[in-house]
Amino acid sequence: MIDVDRVRKSYNGTRGLDGFELHVADGELFGLVGPNGAGKTTLIKILSTLIRADGGRACLAGMDVTAEPQAIKRILGYLPDQPGLYQDMRVREFLEFFADAFRVPIGQHRAVVELGLARAGLAARSQSFVEELSFGMKQRLLLAKTLLHEPKVLLLDEPATGLDPMARIDLREHLKQLNAQGITILISSHILSELEDICSRVALIAEGKNATDAAGKSVIELQSPAALAQIYEIEVLGEVDQAARRATEMAGVTVLKTQSSHFVVEISGGPAEASGFLRHLVLAGVQVLKFDHPAGTLEQRYRQVFGDKPR
Amino acid sequence: MNPMIRKELRQRMRERQGWILPSLYLVVLGAVIAITYYEATTSQSGEVQGWQVGVSLFIAATFAQLILLLLLAPIFSAASLTIEKEQRTLAGLLTSLLPPAQIWWGKFVASLLFVLLMLIAGLPVISAAFAFGGVGPWEVFIATLTTVVILGTVSAISLFWSSVFRRSVHATAVSYVTVIVLSIVTFIVFLVGMSRHESLEWVKLPIAVKGPLFFNPVFFLMMAFAPKEHLFPEWVACLIIYFSLGILSAFLAVRNLSRSGDAV
Repeated sequence: MIDVDRVRKSYNGTRGLDGFELHVADGELFGLVGPNGAGKTTLIKILSTLIRADGGRACLAGMDVTAEPQAIKRILGYLPDQPGLYQDMRVREFLEFFADAFRVPIGQHRAVVELGLARAGLAARSQSFVEELSFGMKQRLLLAKTLLHEPKVLLLDEPATGLDPMARIDLREHLKQLNAQGITILISSHILSELEDICSRVALIAEGKNATDAAGKSVIELQSPAALAQIYEIEVLGEVDQAARRATEMAGVTVLKTQSSHFVVEISGGPAEASGFLRHLVLAGVQVLKFDHPAGTLEQRYRQVFGDKPR
Repeated sequence: MNPMIRKELRQRMRERQGWILPSLYLVVLGAVIAITYYEATTSQSGEVQGWQVGVSLFIAATFAQLILLLLLAPIFSAASLTIEKEQRTLAGLLTSLLPPAQIWWGKFVASLLFVLLMLIAGLPVISAAFAFGGVGPWEVFIATLTTVVILGTVSAISLFWSSVFRRSVHATAVSYVTVIVLSIVTFIVFLVGMSRHESLEWVKLPIAVKGPLFFNPVFFLMMAFAPKEHLFPEWVACLIIYFSLGILSAFLAVRNLSRSGDAV
């Protein structure tokens, strides 16, 4: 559904994107992670037809975003990273305006606006001015506005920024529902735990390019059997390199990083495989001081890829 | 109806300036009429004819109206697009199915309609001139048409500046500079050119000297008061220049708008 092929974009000589590639399947909920300035917003702006790429090709549903912007806008819903609202409009007026702007047929106009109000949970506040709404309500209103024309693809740039925990949970559930209805969603976020919970895959981006983890992967599978792979940090007494070599002797184990006193491995499978791996190390004579499974997979990988880089 | 026009008019009428500015405009226009009436009926020696008072009132009112609306027009149009950038709503418009030309058209019509609202609101005040005679439907028509063309062009230029800048304050300042250049600088350039010429007779002045005056809105309105058969070439030339400036501004503003994705 989303195909990005070696897309380049620079701003007055400053790199925005430098040959980035991405392929998102129809109906997928796909994440995009990377540090600030990595090129996430630039990519989403190119896909949403707001800016033109200098080179490469970006397509939505097989249509080139540069060649067919109007057709793209018909199937696209875009929520920018710092979206604005007309504070001096009433909630209903706001949705009515965008229903007109998205050319919703007159006959369906009222029903579409009512559905938008229901989606935003603001039916009872339809006559309130937008400025009177809480931040979470405004975000729901924006998402409802983005869905007025029933888009097939949603591009969401940091949609959870500034939301309180309950609003984040609401947003997450809402996105899951939309995805279940068949809408393809590309979401960029710094909140890795959220992406981990809802996305099937996540692409890594840094300095405008596809970033890769220690295993050489630029796309992390989160909801597939491969996602069962667990990251463990092992602190040892003695030679770390030798311990790491012992670790690789076991099937399903990949050493991701080696440091002075510890190394990081990815173990395919669940706790039973991890336990078997620990037994293997001990039997091989490795003196294990610490065997830790600290955080979520995505956060671990993110730290491995971007942890040492300046933001 | 273009949804942009409906949205813009609704928002403008909710702003405080939506009623304060027309009120101030009518007060000033009323004051001009009153002062002109006082001057026309008291300072002249001999008997004053009613039609003379009518013509004086009409001319004073139309020029006062033009100057006032030239001062007000940038307020309504220069911030039109910058406000969308400032409140981060432009991305929503540009990713909707409204093409940039339609966004521009909505902003332009809403700005111009607000100025026209004041023009219409001022008609009862100006109609005081009709009571004295000397002013016919043709004069009213041509003066109104000229004023609308001038204000439309100034609105289009202000919208162009609004498409260039990110901040309303910058767009508004440059729009006022443009109004000053058109109204005052062109006149000064004309005076300087004329002072270097031997003949002061209008028909004998070369086009290089007269040229800047064709951009001057006050001169344009003055030429509207020429007899019907003498509207060509001055009034017609001004009309063509103002239309060209307006169309060029519109074209450039739409082009800027379609390329403003990185500013949102």
